[in-house]
Amino acid sequence: MRVALYVTCLVDLMRPSVAFASLRLLEAAGCEVIVPEGQTCCGQPAWSAGERALAADLARKAIGELEGYDYVVIPSGSCADQIRNVYPQLLADDPAWGLRARTLADRAYELTSFLVDVLKLSAVPNQFDGSVTYHDSCKGLRGLAIKRQPRDLLARVPGLSLKEMSECEECCGFGGAFSVKFGEVSTKIVDRKCDAIAAAGADAVVGGDLGCLMNIEGRLRRRGDETTRVLHIAEVLAGGEA
Amino acid sequence: MTAAAKHSQAMHFQARAGEKVRNPVLQRALQKAKPLFVGKRAKGIAGLADDDLDFEALRTACEGIRNRTLADLDVWLDIFEERATASGAEVLWARDGEEVGRLVVDIARRHGVSKATKSKSMLSEEAHLNEALAAAGIRPVETDLGEYIVQLAGETPSHIIAPAIHKTLEEVEALFAKEHGRPIETRTSADIPDLTREAREVLRQHFLTADMGISGANFLIAESGTAALVTNEGNGRMVTTLPRVHVVVTGIEKVIPTLEDFATLMRLLPRSATGQSISNYVSLLTGTRREGDHDGPEKTVFILVDNGRAKLLGSAYQDMLRCIRCGACMNHCPVYFSLGGHAYGWVYPGPMGSVLTPLYTGIENALDLPHATTGCNQCGSVCPVRIPLPKLMHQLRTEQVERGLRPWSERLAFKAWAWVAGRPALYRWLTRRAARYLNWLADGDGRIRILGLAPGWTAGRDLPVSSGRTFHELYKARKRA
Repeated sequence: MRVALYVTCLVDLMRPSVAFASLRLLEAAGCEVIVPEGQTCCGQPAWSAGERALAADLARKAIGELEGYDYVVIPSGSCADQIRNVYPQLLADDPAWGLRARTLADRAYELTSFLVDVLKLSAVPNQFDGSVTYHDSCKGLRGLAIKRQPRDLLARVPGLSLKEMSECEECCGFGGAFSVKFGEVSTKIVDRKCDAIAAAGADAVVGGDLGCLMNIEGRLRRRGDETTRVLHIAEVLAGGEA
Repeated sequence: MTAAAKHSQAMHFQARAGEKVRNPVLQRALQKAKPLFVGKRAKGIAGLADDDLDFEALRTACEGIRNRTLADLDVWLDIFEERATASGAEVLWARDGEEVGRLVVDIARRHGVSKATKSKSMLSEEAHLNEALAAAGIRPVETDLGEYIVQLAGETPSHIIAPAIHKTLEEVEALFAKEHGRPIETRTSADIPDLTREAREVLRQHFLTADMGISGANFLIAESGTAALVTNEGNGRMVTTLPRVHVVVTGIEKVIPTLEDFATLMRLLPRSATGQSISNYVSLLTGTRREGDHDGPEKTVFILVDNGRAKLLGSAYQDMLRCIRCGACMNHCPVYFSLGGHAYGWVYPGPMGSVLTPLYTGIENALDLPHATTGCNQCGSVCPVRIPLPKLMHQLRTEQVERGLRPWSERLAFKAWAWVAGRPALYRWLTRRAARYLNWLADGDGRIRILGLAPGWTAGRDLPVSSGRTFHELYKARKRA
């Protein structure tokens, strides 16, 4: 099974260990993993800002690079939502590209969804001594119905216990450009998330989207919490070292 | 500039947002309210199962009723007008808020009205009806408890079903003491019934002496020419049955075909709003007082208002007209509960307001609102008529770009970034530089505390950064090794 790993621009720039962990997970599960050379950004920031033409350009570019594999795996619900749900509607007016977008969308999976729904993974390589609480990112949860998959996987990690926080489905306040444009509002929202994390009292907060995790980690540290670890689920499942 | 736009403060959203986030009294009030709203709705929706009802199936039914009505809106409005007239009411049409004011004042003058009691109506806020009445020497008295508080405070509602949600108990006590001419007392939440009784005693006098009652309508039922009114305090009944004249002011999109449709929509409206399986009062008001009736108005007038609605028909925004004003979208909105409703600058706050304000007051007059969203879709997932609110906000952002309403610097930045992202070699080179730069700024600490490029981010949180190498760089090196 040939699987293309779409790294996402945030992981590439801010936390390469997430991509290496994803790579190890997929290889351990027996996939032949290819990191397509020319990949850059899926174009979601442009789409979200209303820059439709720019988003369409980047969508066509990404489709060209990511099609032709058995599957495309993305360690982010947000970017996976862009490819699965947005590309087909963005390119719907162009019959040829629309078809290519739909074909890609059918093969593109968020990481935990791929591991559980497609590979039906029964064991994970890593172990984790401690408790974690899971933050459901909005795009994964409400765009791709990812809820059970990460919990299924966490339950298979030896030594790990899950302490659910209250309101784990509440938005963390990231929202891409929102967190910069409306920084104060975003901070107010992530404060509530940090309160819920603190109340859960887990050793680590885990999620599937680096944007949310950077937002949460940044706020936890600013509030003086130096101990709660903030980890991408790939890092928990495969181990975090690059 | 339209009349609605003149009154809008939506262009000041960014500044107001900061003010609201830093207001501790407001924040206390909001923090208290949010879990109540969310918890009650969740319970209400879960309770559907007790009646063997399914939320998603009901949503589909409600969405269908609203879509079918909107598809032939002119026909249903004609039927409503015919049936309402046949039952003794008068039906008038208003293009905008100013026309609403003129029509109501005119009716009031013809009937010698000096005081009008009002039950809650957001459309009367769109129309600035209270100002129009006061200017004509007619005293409007808000009788919904929240609206009464807001009117005493000289403010506007900050929530469509809980207008005084931004007020704390202490603020209400101070307001009542002043208005009702008594000393301020120390109050706890156990005293709320006392405060309510106090307001009720004042309002009772107004109910008995008003010459005109003004209400909105949750729905207009075409087959019987009926206004359906859903309330919890009973004031709606007083307003619509005691005075000689009853004026219903509502939007043209509120019409639905049948009573059966009303029953279906009522399965979800109160549950979505307050979690109740049914609200305390459900009034179906048809025509005027008939012979043998103990109460009811001698004159009933419907004023059906466009104010920007008709032009949404057939547009990319038509879905918004399905809205039944339950407030669930704002009750589940992280942005709304960080700010309260006044930050939004016009009549409607929260996600539905971020769509309606630009559409009714001009897209160019509310540029921030469609951007004031994290895209979380908590609103869309609770909407009882499945309005795709995030999609509509996105459509508005797209229209801003298409109409050249975004700042040129922002557009240039996106163009430059997309140009780079389209050239992988250049993109790799730049991201390698960026990773090193960020790492240098972090100074071996793993995080940046002040980032000049994104001060909005680092004002409230650190920016965790990597080791100074991009994934693609590390991956390439590893493959070579």
